[in-house]
Amino acid sequence: MPEWDDREIIKGFNTQGKEEIAFNQLVSKYQERLYWHIRKIVISHDDTDDVLQNTMIKVWRSLGNFRSESGLFTWLYRIATNEALSFLKQKKKKAFAPWVDVEEQMSENLEADPWFNGDEIQLKLQQAILKLPEKQRIVFNMKYFDQVKYVEMSKILGTSVGALKASYHHAVKKIESMLEED
Amino acid sequence: MDRKKPDLQQEPLKNHPFGLPEGYFESFSERLHQRIKEEESSRVPVRKIGTVTRWLAMAAAILAAALITTSIIRFTTSNNGADGLYPDLALLEQQQVFNDDLYLYKLLDEESDELDEDEAFASQAIEYLAINDVEMDLIFE
Repeated sequence: MPEWDDREIIKGFNTQGKEEIAFNQLVSKYQERLYWHIRKIVISHDDTDDVLQNTMIKVWRSLGNFRSESGLFTWLYRIATNEALSFLKQKKKKAFAPWVDVEEQMSENLEADPWFNGDEIQLKLQQAILKLPEKQRIVFNMKYFDQVKYVEMSKILGTSVGALKASYHHAVKKIESMLEED
Repeated sequence: MDRKKPDLQQEPLKNHPFGLPEGYFESFSERLHQRIKEEESSRVPVRKIGTVTRWLAMAAAILAAALITTSIIRFTTSNNGADGLYPDLALLEQQQVFNDDLYLYKLLDEESDELDEDEAFASQAIEYLAINDVEMDLIFE
């Protein structure tokens, strides 16, 4: 079956009897991109799987009300980002003790993660990224690994292009200095 | 000692270092549908009501709405007709729509407070330059 474009997916979802086919098209078209976006925020594969499922369930329940002004891709990325951040927030709430640093834990777990294939420098880079504030981390990941354009990122994160460039710049400087320290 | 500056521009670093179980994406859709089915079947079923009950319920709802409206009108007129006491339904609806984004926006705002004085100044400067289309790379290189 040929891949539907976004407009066909939205139209299909609003046509009785075609909702499931349209949703399947959406899942197959965007699952990988959303998976890797979430994975870079929550790091572990199992957590990413949970967050991706939550994201898709939210999409299934609200796609009927989707107004296409923002574009499907932007809307999906925004839901995925929110879900990933909410997941981390919940994880912090459930932490054994208030002084436990969840990002520090994620960083330690990374070394033993069977789904981490990186070398020493890639491990250091990921650990440095985890030390960044959440916003800088998301901006850095989107720009550095996914080459998302600032204009697109601005629509997804609801922040000005200038502020995003500033965030990315600070993130790069911090990471470089953390890598130099090691 | 002159240490070599780490180069974030080297290509291998730009590839993310994560792997995932084989066939993950092929089976994802099936697992997702299974979970959606489970969640939908665990929802409380809607109870069917008879025609008489439906009419009675509708009449009660209209009566309640009329009582509430009358009370609000009386209350507002006894307050010298002050404006702004009626909830703006369009605004409430909008609030609901953007509720999910609230945490993200809050986070973005909070983090700007986390910047120290130098970073805040640099951010403002960079934002100013970005707005005026100054090529950032020329400055940071």
